[in-house]
Amino acid sequence: MLTVLMALPPPDPQFVLRGTSAPVHTLHFSCGGPEPDIPLLFSGSENGFIHVWNLKTHRVDTALDGHGRKSVYCVETMGGKDRLLSQGRDQRICLWDLAEGRTSVTDSVFTEHMGFCRCSLLKVAQGRWLMAMAARSLEEVQILELPSKTSVCTLKPEVGAKLGMPMCLKLWQLSCGSQPVLLAGYEDGSVVLWNVSMGKALSQLSCHQEPVMSLDFDSEKAKGISGSSEKVLSIWCLNEQQNLQVYKTHELVNAGISDITIRPDKKILATAGWDHRIRIFSWKKLKPLAVLDYHTATVHCVSFSDHSSPWDRLLAAGSKDQRISVWSIYAQT
Amino acid sequence: MAVFDTPQAAFGALRPVCVQLTRAQTVENVRQLQAHLAGVSGAALQELQEYVLFPLRFALRVPGPKQERLVQSLVQCISSVLAATCVKKQELLQELFSELCTCLAPPPSSVKAAPLSEELKLAVIQALHTLMHSAYGDVILSLYRPSSLPLLGFAVSLLLTLAEQEKAKQIKISALECLQVLVLQCDCQEHRQLDEDEEQQCGDLFASFLPGISITLSRVIAGDIKQGHKPTVSAIRLFYLIVGLVMADKQLARIPKSKEKLPVEHSRISELMIHRGSDWTKSTAEKLSLLLHKVVESSSVHPHWKVRLELVELVHHLLRNCSQSLVDSFSHLLKAVVGLVNDENSEVQSRCNKVLQGIAEQRIVAQNRALADVLSENLHSLATALPRLMNSQDDMGKVSTLSLLLGYLKLLGPKINIVLNSVSHLQRLSKALVQVLELDVTDVKIVEARRSEPPGPLQQGVQKGRCQKKYFRFFTEEKVFQLLQQVCRVLGYYGNLYLLVDHFMGLYSESGLYRKQAAMILNELVMGAAGVGVDFLQEREVPLNVDDLKGSITSILDEYMDQANWYLVTSVDTEESSPEQSEQHLGLAVRAGGASSSILLQSSEPPVTTRTMNSNIWQICIQLEGVGCFAAVLGKEFRLLLLSALYPVLEKAGDRTLLISETALGTLADICEACGYDSVQCLINENSDYLVNSISLNLRQLAYQPRASQVLDTMLRNSDASLLPLIEDVIQDVLSALDQSYNSQASTFLRVLHSVMTALVQWFGMPSAEEHQQRHSDKGQSRARSQGQHKVTMTSQEVEQFFLDYVSQKRIAEGDLPDLEEEEADEIPLAKPEPSSDTEGEAPMPSHAQLARDVMERCIHLLSDGSLRVRLKVLDVLELCVTMLHPHGNHLLPMAHRVWPALVTRLISDDPLAVLRAFKVLCTLAQTCGDFLRQRFSKDVLSKLTSSLLSQAPASARAGPVYSHTLAFKLQLALLQGLGSLCERLDMGESDLNKVADACLIYLSAKQPVKLQEAAQRLCQVDQSLFEKLSVLAPVLL
Repeated sequence: MLTVLMALPPPDPQFVLRGTSAPVHTLHFSCGGPEPDIPLLFSGSENGFIHVWNLKTHRVDTALDGHGRKSVYCVETMGGKDRLLSQGRDQRICLWDLAEGRTSVTDSVFTEHMGFCRCSLLKVAQGRWLMAMAARSLEEVQILELPSKTSVCTLKPEVGAKLGMPMCLKLWQLSCGSQPVLLAGYEDGSVVLWNVSMGKALSQLSCHQEPVMSLDFDSEKAKGISGSSEKVLSIWCLNEQQNLQVYKTHELVNAGISDITIRPDKKILATAGWDHRIRIFSWKKLKPLAVLDYHTATVHCVSFSDHSSPWDRLLAAGSKDQRISVWSIYAQT
Repeated sequence: MAVFDTPQAAFGALRPVCVQLTRAQTVENVRQLQAHLAGVSGAALQELQEYVLFPLRFALRVPGPKQERLVQSLVQCISSVLAATCVKKQELLQELFSELCTCLAPPPSSVKAAPLSEELKLAVIQALHTLMHSAYGDVILSLYRPSSLPLLGFAVSLLLTLAEQEKAKQIKISALECLQVLVLQCDCQEHRQLDEDEEQQCGDLFASFLPGISITLSRVIAGDIKQGHKPTVSAIRLFYLIVGLVMADKQLARIPKSKEKLPVEHSRISELMIHRGSDWTKSTAEKLSLLLHKVVESSSVHPHWKVRLELVELVHHLLRNCSQSLVDSFSHLLKAVVGLVNDENSEVQSRCNKVLQGIAEQRIVAQNRALADVLSENLHSLATALPRLMNSQDDMGKVSTLSLLLGYLKLLGPKINIVLNSVSHLQRLSKALVQVLELDVTDVKIVEARRSEPPGPLQQGVQKGRCQKKYFRFFTEEKVFQLLQQVCRVLGYYGNLYLLVDHFMGLYSESGLYRKQAAMILNELVMGAAGVGVDFLQEREVPLNVDDLKGSITSILDEYMDQANWYLVTSVDTEESSPEQSEQHLGLAVRAGGASSSILLQSSEPPVTTRTMNSNIWQICIQLEGVGCFAAVLGKEFRLLLLSALYPVLEKAGDRTLLISETALGTLADICEACGYDSVQCLINENSDYLVNSISLNLRQLAYQPRASQVLDTMLRNSDASLLPLIEDVIQDVLSALDQSYNSQASTFLRVLHSVMTALVQWFGMPSAEEHQQRHSDKGQSRARSQGQHKVTMTSQEVEQFFLDYVSQKRIAEGDLPDLEEEEADEIPLAKPEPSSDTEGEAPMPSHAQLARDVMERCIHLLSDGSLRVRLKVLDVLELCVTMLHPHGNHLLPMAHRVWPALVTRLISDDPLAVLRAFKVLCTLAQTCGDFLRQRFSKDVLSKLTSSLLSQAPASARAGPVYSHTLAFKLQLALLQGLGSLCERLDMGESDLNKVADACLIYLSAKQPVKLQEAAQRLCQVDQSLFEKLSVLAPVLL
């Protein structure tokens, strides 16, 4: 399938969503529901709006305004399409109740963080989540429990580590019930593995010369990938002693990666490039599979859908050119 | 007004006459009795019934030959007695019955006597009739005992003979009616209803007569038409009544296995009795089937409608009572009734429909597997013969054949699926339909008819999408098509939609020969499935599942709008796209079509025949109509499908082929109505996001998808400024795509840019452009008025005025100055508003102006393109850009500066066509950039233009009438018409004006074509005013 993809002329997006009237910074699908549920795509844009796209009609169902017209750069669902978490440049993380047509912010967390670091969410039990977010003081990451908002711990690097601000976070656990672990990419280009319950750094790896812009981690293969403003993707792995090691690096044509996502089935990954392009790689060998060329400005985010049938699954990319392109990667065979 | 009310009084009165009659049996005596009878009341007569009857019967019984007239009067008298009384005794009934029958019986064969007179026969028949009516219910049953069988048989055979052999119509009818009474099936309501057992008995009894009656009646029915319709009608009625009684399913079901033993004394009669066992039933049904066939054959084409109506009743009656016993005959019977649905007589028609409806409603077919088999067998054989029939029959024949087909389908109703599930049935049926529906694709006009340019807004001329009139190879009658439509719809209504859609989709992709027909059928199937316009007899069993319908429609739509089926060659125009492009596009289509597109392969080879194109046009139209149908069927649900369907339809709305664009417009109207949009504009506006999506994706491959620009064009023409934010990025995409391929794709991109700019000018540019125009024309007019002139061509006056002015001009030149200060005072305030527009430029530019600037930028590059066509198009776009940028002088001027060199080249050294258009651009540009242009114009262009006018003048002076069609002429005209206002706007200097004037003067010559003269005159007027202005300044200069 993937080789065929290579041979074909550059594919077109399946469709393009227009109408955010501002650069798009984050995307999140909610398509896993059973049949009568309408597949949705949430997009957060620079004008502070979260748009809820109906993927049947390709139109905006609702536009949520909860960040004082400040850029929204992270949107996640909590459990289903009715509970939403959003993070904006107004230094707030909002929790939304969208059930039965409601559009209200039920709770919010004041982060006091000035950067762009997206928070990371991990479901630890039914109705209980852990959330990692960059905290007020520059180098710290704070872990909160949701929805109670109680602080679990604060992860501070050792004095003199000079990691800089956290840039991207990935909270994960090997299996349900095991210790939650946090991977954080920092301004100085290093990725640090934190034990959340002990509040201790387990391992640190210097991956990039420039700030880490995005990372994703595959807990099955214990392998992760990170991108920065350089021309290189760095793949690293976690050995049994919980040490991060460089696995390999991949040279890119153009510099600058703003987002990396591994598809839930761990077969391929997508990168959002500053060169306006989306690139698809095989996750196993990092073989380049396709360059999706549609946008006319930096691509800010890429996201895979969670459709239950693999044939319906989609890839969406949001860009500075105010468009969201939606691609069907599976259907290209 | 009975005279004798009491039996006593009546007896007194009647006794003498009766005695008299007993003594002497004369006609006179009988008449007397009859006369007296009239004065006796019914009740009284009842008491005296037997007494009165006695002499009459006595007279009849007197042995030896009798006078016929006497017998007749006796019988009539008996008849009148019976009419007023009741027979209450079984013996009396039997005796009277046998006595009357004897009267009818032909004299013993040994005696050669004259046959009975007709009057007598009639009288006897009527008497029998009356007798049967005057008998009490229980009494009459005594006649229907096995013991009376011989007597009854005698009567039946007598009456049958009369019915068959008599010449007199009245006797025939009476005999048949009498028979009807005799078999207890009288039409009148006076008779007692028989209970089941009694009926069963009668059935057993009549079974003996059935062969005789049915054979004879069938002969009567098939008899000479000259006998009139009434006997036939009566015979048919009797036929079905007796058959319906004897062969009734209800009775046959109750027949015991073995024959009942009758008492010994009836052993002879027992031999006559028939046991209606299964063997008998079977053989009888076989024989009846033959007879029924004969009956149907003759009466279904009977010229009198009442006969045909009675036939319908026959079918109705038999179907109701004998649907099992006579199942083998129903093939004929149903065929008859189904065929009569389209009878020329409306009463027959409506009765037929009612009967069919009744059949359907009572689920006779649905519950009777055998009958359904018969029907499907009929259907099968009809479908087999259908193609042949369609080839050979005339339109009337086709109508009847198709009505038959339709009738079968309607009758089968929900059982249609039995037929459809059999592969051979479905295949035959579908092949037949596909063959019949073959279109006539020889008409060249279809291919030739192009849409007139420029197309108006979509609103106008969009009526509710009516189907285009199609021309078929095998028929012309509209009725035939309607029937075919109904056939398909009924199939869709009852049939398994998935099965049908699958089958016809198979045919659709199987061969190009079937494609159009299959599409037509698919459209109708879907309509039928939704229950739209279906004429059905019974509701279907399972209500429609909307999801199924939507699923089917989606898959059909996908197929219709597949590259290979939607983008077909419909014209040999190369203007649409350059040859290489169209080849590429064709290649693509062929590849996409894969193995199934053999027809496409043919069509893509160089000589595309008119026939192929015609066929392609029709295919597209049918598919478009389909889209309209689907929308109508799904209603608001179709809105979801607009995502994929709207763009292709809109694309076709912009097609150059008239038929296609008209059909597409109709489809759009259908969609509007179905989805609840008020207008096409509304439809486009509300779904512009879908359209923009498709357009933007298609524009990415503009080389292969030259139609994306058409849609953009259509959309732009039908939308308003609110669209701009949506399409902005698309236009930017176009521009950046253009930047990548200036050489190869320029002309395609330019078309897009042209429509974009046209729309922008229409949305934003108009007011300011008009203002400008207004201002300038105001100036012109005020001047014209001040000189007492109108712009209208009034040649002689103008010439005169010219010379007057010329003289004054000369005087001016010589320094003799008239008072002209007023004129000047007029001019100054008018010039003032100009700077205000420049201040606007400081504010951030609105996006439409930015777009115009971006487009203009590209135009600069393209102005020197190698292809003339591209250059012409660029000039058009450029003019629009300039118009658009008028209010933004600060931006326009630098652009104008950059455009200038290229424009000059167009003006002075290009094809005349290009010069012409470039000159137009120049005039537009002059509206705002006067100062900027003055120097350059005079330096770079003017002398060239005037010298071309001068050099061309001798040629036009010599030229003949054809000259006005040449390019040179048009150029001259344009220059003469445009130079004046241009000079005026640019406020040209004296020497330049002189050049213009020089060039223009030659054209005032009478040798020049009239149009050029007129233009020159007008130019001179403008020039004069300039001269005037100059002359004001002259003293200062001097």
